Amino acid sequence: MKNGALVVLKKELARFFGDKRLFFTTVIMPGLLIFVMYNVMGNVMQDNLSSKMTAVSEVYAVDIPDGLKSLFESGALKVTVISEDEIEDAKNKIKEKNIAACVVFPKGFQDFVNNFKPYKRAQNVPNVEVYYSTADIESSSAYSRIVDLLDLYESDACNVFDINFASTAEEQQKYNVATDEQTTGTLLASLLPMLLMTLMYSSCMALAPESIAGEKERGTFATLLITPVPREQIALGKVLALSCMALLSGLSNFLGTFLSLPALMGSVAEEAESEFSVAVYTAKEYALLIVVILSTVIMFVTIISVLSTIAKTVKEASTLTLPLMMAVMFIGFSAMYNSDPKQEIMWYLIPVYNSVQSMIGIFSFSASAVNILVTAGINLAVSAFGMIVLRVLFNNERVMFAR
Amino acid sequence: MEEILKVEGLNKSFKLSSKQRKIEKTDEKIKKAVVDLSFSAYEGEIFGLLGPNGAGKTTTLRILSTLIKPDSGEAYIKGISVVKEPEKVRNMVGFLTSELKLEDFFTPDFLFDFFSDMYKIPDDTRQERKQYLFSKFGIDKFAGVKVANLSTGMKQKVALVVSIAHDPDIIIFDEPTNGLDVITAKVVTDFLKELKGQGKTIILSTHIFSLVEKMCDRVGIIIDGELVVCSDIDTLTKEKSLEDVFFELYYERKGDSV
Ligand SMILES: Nc1ncnc2c1ncn2[C@@H]1O[C@H](COP(=O)(O)OP(=O)(O)O)[C@@H](O)[C@H]1O
Ligand SMILES: [Mg+2]
Repeated sequence: MKNGALVVLKKELARFFGDKRLFFTTVIMPGLLIFVMYNVMGNVMQDNLSSKMTAVSEVYAVDIPDGLKSLFESGALKVTVISEDEIEDAKNKIKEKNIAACVVFPKGFQDFVNNFKPYKRAQNVPNVEVYYSTADIESSSAYSRIVDLLDLYESDACNVFDINFASTAEEQQKYNVATDEQTTGTLLASLLPMLLMTLMYSSCMALAPESIAGEKERGTFATLLITPVPREQIALGKVLALSCMALLSGLSNFLGTFLSLPALMGSVAEEAESEFSVAVYTAKEYALLIVVILSTVIMFVTIISVLSTIAKTVKEASTLTLPLMMAVMFIGFSAMYNSDPKQEIMWYLIPVYNSVQSMIGIFSFSASAVNILVTAGINLAVSAFGMIVLRVLFNNERVMFAR
Repeated sequence: MEEILKVEGLNKSFKLSSKQRKIEKTDEKIKKAVVDLSFSAYEGEIFGLLGPNGAGKTTTLRILSTLIKPDSGEAYIKGISVVKEPEKVRNMVGFLTSELKLEDFFTPDFLFDFFSDMYKIPDDTRQERKQYLFSKFGIDKFAGVKVANLSTGMKQKVALVVSIAHDPDIIIFDEPTNGLDVITAKVVTDFLKELKGQGKTIILSTHIFSLVEKMCDRVGIIIDGELVVCSDIDTLTKEKSLEDVFFELYYERKGDSV
């Protein structure tokens, strides 16, 4: 015999896949848009960063020793020597972003350095002043190069010991014991939970109000209610169909994000001097992720369906679902500052928060299967409760035929 | 003749929101839409509920088709309570009203199949019935055209056909000719007579006297939610026309207030 829920499911899917515009705007476009946007963003970010960091910056210097001047110039700094009276003028030039920095050496600096004895603890050491501006990226970058060069100069003058000495970058790499896995994991665990939660929620939000509040608004829902199919089957059919659609839409969003990660994360990984690669995840991580995503989407769909049933119009439904969107985003954000997942099981009893924690665990290779199962169980329990509420609402004539 | 519909002391009132109170120009917070309504309909007849706008006809028919529940009272269709076993009742009745709309996106063909599935009609029966009804109403040429692109008349014909896809024994029809052009209206009334000929029972509501005179075997006149008369049409119109009978009753109730 034909099950009412399946009949409704089939109809909803026929609507979704049959409507090219709907399919395009909810499945194809979001992923494509994200991919293009993130790639452009990533490239711009990287170009900007690298050009600002390698360009030759102009700096002024007072009483600079010759040895240091040539050291500066080998470090992409063009040095103009000025006198003490011109310091105020130089500060203004930094403010107006005409020059990057101004370095002021104290009188007798070179003598002090030359006569310095490493075994004598120095009392009144000379102070080098470097004026710069954090409002200008070029100035900040020049500042950090100057500080690095001065440090280098200082340690050359009295080298007592080295830290992580290496003549090449590759050799330097051996000190960083983080594996590529860990670098990728930490990065993704801070970023993806928030992104995924928001994407899933907004996918559900793009679909459920239209399918429930929309049908109520257009008067087509009542035609379902005069059929002998029990209301809970109608609800189940709708929720299942919406979950499929939301998953597809979410998948598109996710692929868009995932495929642009290398472009987006490249510069961050470069700084960490480690390889960024999503290939570090295995089937186990993906399987756990699917469990979390599936149960979360079903929960979102049910909750938004309930809100859409209470609402009289699609517009009202969108308004009703907004506060929850904020909450989801907020909880997602909490992951950005906390890339170690909670281990205690009680944290996994809190809906939404548990999904975020589970995802942090999965991306950082520290997920506990039990916690993830608890998360899925809670999500499905919330969905089941939502289904009961939906059934009650579908049976409530004042909700279904509100004027 | 077998009593197929029995309505016993139905009451239904609606809470009015402040907006609704303004529209209805009343201070009362509760609108009694149906008051202590009782009547019966028999197998193979066309029963008409006649009354002015706002009399409570649609509300009554919505209760009978289980879309809404009465505050008190009962109605039985073939002995089955619309309150206690609505799902069984839904299998036996076909309800048609302008408030039930078809999704614009789908074709008549798809919608007929969909609703047949909702009523669990076997595929071969469905196919046969679709062919019969579609050709009868001239829908076959438009079977693959989205509802959104159909003319108003064609839309209404599709709605009618879909609502009786499960071949119900009782057809409940709210204002059957409202908004139809004369030709579609004739097709519909002819079809209702044909259904009656097949032994189906039809409950319709209307505010049009001539429709009752032409179609109905028995009529109940409903004013302000109350049934003021229920009789077979021949007895009622023996001396006066239906219109005269109605206005006599109407002024009797309303007194000088009109
Ligand atoms: N859902 C509702 N909320 C408030 N008032 C309603 C509702 N449904 C019907 N009414 C009121 O009940 C009365 C009877 O309505 P109805 O049954 O539609 O009359 P008819 O079909 O005879 O024109 C009207 O005054 C109408 O405004
Ligand atoms: Mg009406």
